[in-house]
Amino acid sequence: MSSRRSYLIRRVLHGFMALFIIATLLFFLFRLGLPDPTAALITEGLTPEERERIRASFGLDRPIWEQYFIYLANIVQGDFGYSFHYRAPVADIIWERLANTMILMLPAIVLAYGIGAPLGAWLSWRRGSRADTSGIFVGLMFRSAPMFWTGMIAILIFGIGLGWLPTSGMRTLPYEASGFLDKIFTLDFLHHLILPALVVALYYLGSPLLIMRNTMLEVYGEDFIEMARAKGLPERRILYAHAARNALLPVVTQLAVTIGLAAGGQVVVEVVFSWPGLGREILNSVRTSDFPLAQASFLVMAAFVITLNLLVDILYTMLDPRVSFK
Amino acid sequence: MKNIAATRFKRTLLASAMGLAAASLGAQALAQEPVASIDLMTTTESYDPIRYEAAFIIAERWEELGFEVNVQPTEFSTALERFYDQQDFDATILGWSGRTDRLDPQFFLSTLDSRQANPGGNNPGGYDNPEFDALFDQQSQAFDQDERQRLVMEMQELYKPDAPLVVLFHRDEVVAYNHEAFDGFEPMAGEGLYSEWGPMEATPVGERSTLRIGGPQEPDNLNPLASTSVWGWKWMRLYYDRLVRLSADVEPLPWAAEAVEQVDDTTVAVTLREGMTFHDGEAVTADDVAFTWNYYLDQDYSYFNSYLAALDNAEAVDERTVHFHLSEPSASFASISLSQIPILPEHIWSQIDDASTLSPDEVPTVGSGPFQHERFDRGEFMAISKFDDHFHADEIAVDGVEFIIYADMEGVYTGLQTGEIDVTAWRMEPGQISLAESEDHLTVVNVPDFGYFHMTYNLRRAPFDDRAVRRALTMASDRERMVNVLLDGRGEVGSSVIAPVNTFWHEAFIERFEFDMDAARAELEEAGYSWDEDGRLMR
Repeated sequence: MSSRRSYLIRRVLHGFMALFIIATLLFFLFRLGLPDPTAALITEGLTPEERERIRASFGLDRPIWEQYFIYLANIVQGDFGYSFHYRAPVADIIWERLANTMILMLPAIVLAYGIGAPLGAWLSWRRGSRADTSGIFVGLMFRSAPMFWTGMIAILIFGIGLGWLPTSGMRTLPYEASGFLDKIFTLDFLHHLILPALVVALYYLGSPLLIMRNTMLEVYGEDFIEMARAKGLPERRILYAHAARNALLPVVTQLAVTIGLAAGGQVVVEVVFSWPGLGREILNSVRTSDFPLAQASFLVMAAFVITLNLLVDILYTMLDPRVSFK
Repeated sequence: MKNIAATRFKRTLLASAMGLAAASLGAQALAQEPVASIDLMTTTESYDPIRYEAAFIIAERWEELGFEVNVQPTEFSTALERFYDQQDFDATILGWSGRTDRLDPQFFLSTLDSRQANPGGNNPGGYDNPEFDALFDQQSQAFDQDERQRLVMEMQELYKPDAPLVVLFHRDEVVAYNHEAFDGFEPMAGEGLYSEWGPMEATPVGERSTLRIGGPQEPDNLNPLASTSVWGWKWMRLYYDRLVRLSADVEPLPWAAEAVEQVDDTTVAVTLREGMTFHDGEAVTADDVAFTWNYYLDQDYSYFNSYLAALDNAEAVDERTVHFHLSEPSASFASISLSQIPILPEHIWSQIDDASTLSPDEVPTVGSGPFQHERFDRGEFMAISKFDDHFHADEIAVDGVEFIIYADMEGVYTGLQTGEIDVTAWRMEPGQISLAESEDHLTVVNVPDFGYFHMTYNLRRAPFDDRAVRRALTMASDRERMVNVLLDGRGEVGSSVIAPVNTFWHEAFIERFEFDMDAARAELEEAGYSWDEDGRLMR
């Protein structure tokens, strides 16, 4: 038990260290790599003195080390600063956009893994059959097709051609919602969710399907499957209770990574469907050199990936007793 | 081509046949050095395929002329920084957008003023002509329109033969609207259909009486003392009134002002219209107007500095009269400045010390314009409704306006196609224009622009320090082809920083630099340049 606790503490500490390194890298990367945030104002006809005053109001006139320590101190206090572009607290913008992204990505991922993993298991059982080859083909096809293309085709058919589904945004305007929950618990929202979620789900479907299928094939050769067969267990039970459970580990890892990265949104899908998510915001913040917003967005993404990795490692010990804390 | 081949042939003949004599000829050629190679900076293909392709059209001809040219596609903000701040470029293709206030010649002429040539200034090419600068000062203080027109013409005649830059082309803004839903729009140069008049003119012909506009970007914020984007101001001007509004023909019309008079050289008197109120019911008084202008001076909001540069202070003389005291005579104050600064309610803003730090939900939205602010859901939409107590309210046929925010023009066009929106707020992509033309419910509108795309030479560097080279390179820039091929004919070849559509100020005759390779070669030859056996330009 104590080894478990010390393991957890160690892992959490590692996580924080990783975040600290990432925060530092982000800070310097953006300042060295991106153009000056006031550069875009030149075309508005602002003079160098006027732009210098704006830079000062952003705190960019201070020495870079001073800026860096202020930034670190603020992060520790949970303050992500003020967006240069929007003139609004970064945290407000990010939470809103992150929620919008997750409400699109989670259903899509659940759909992809909920269908993909069992389907992969089934395909492995019917290995070599026609269903197997066509299943692999379809999975690979959607995995390889660029999402903007599938998205545009979907818009063309279901939005413009048939006129069944809305093609952009999260709701029919001007719908006034009093809050986030009010906004998403409506039929109108589900109506808007269908196309983008399906496009994302189809894209993600290939991974769990292929991983599950291939791992299952490996597991079939194991002794305990032989044993189960020898005991005379029904094939169905062997497949789902014995083999599938053992083949699930790589799928769970993949799932965690997918969810972690999903926090950043799928920029392409968010652009094609004009979905107001975090991915589009990240793109914009880099484009406008909005350092505070860009730093915080990437940091949130990193935190997601790190946390989910940790969760997966813990989950492993439950799924597989062979994995232990060391 | 024939000429070059002939000279080349002659040279080879000379070199091979004349032995010793050839050696001495070679020595003479050695005295001439190859001309410095040229880096031509332009945008990336993904940012703007047109400027990207334009660079290659130019490079191809310049190489034919004997220059070595490297096209450098550069990320947009980086290009801006290298061009304006660092002035680290040979020649650069960029552009100036046509904002209505730039129809006044002041701004575009200032981009050739030597006092703007310092890093960060608007004249990165470094054109330096004291005569031009002197005329610039004269025109900016000339109250008499005819006198000012003469000066502005003279300035164009003066700078054009020096070829400090090439005005490549003016690109038409091609927009579209759904005439089965709304009609009655009058397009405005540089503004398209999403002008400040658009929503006031639109007449519903379908079921919906709320006009829906779709755009690929959204305002940075709706703070009239912090927004630095055209998207912020295009929206705010619908619910904040101005003293003067520019008509669709860009003529200053008294708006919230009943009359604008010149009291003396440095005093402008404005009489307010009677009976105006803010959206919260308070009366609009001379105090509000004077307060607003002094507040803008105090708050140091850089975006408006150019409009306020000539203003000393504003003073409410009585209930309905405001005197603007200028520090120097200004020709553009009455037309441009008065048409750009919104009227803010004193009873709300006087309590705000530092307006630039307001968070979005603290920013007041009370104006006195023809529409009143309803909501702004970031990333999704904005809405305003008609203000029934406005003096212009009877002329407005819509209930309100909704602005739907898409991720890009692809989304905007799909919205127009499916009837989700009625008007595009931004130019369509080239591929969408022909699609829109084939749709029965859409009307496509071509609006000429007075903004321009330019290629600016760095006059501090060789070979652009030589006037003859600049002139030759300009003659070798095939702008006709750019308009025909890249713009599909939707635009006009540039000849001056003041666009042809700006008829009153545009000078149309002096040195248009038509595309002419022979003339370009002659210009170089005359200035003492020659070509080596590989056709490279030598000096």
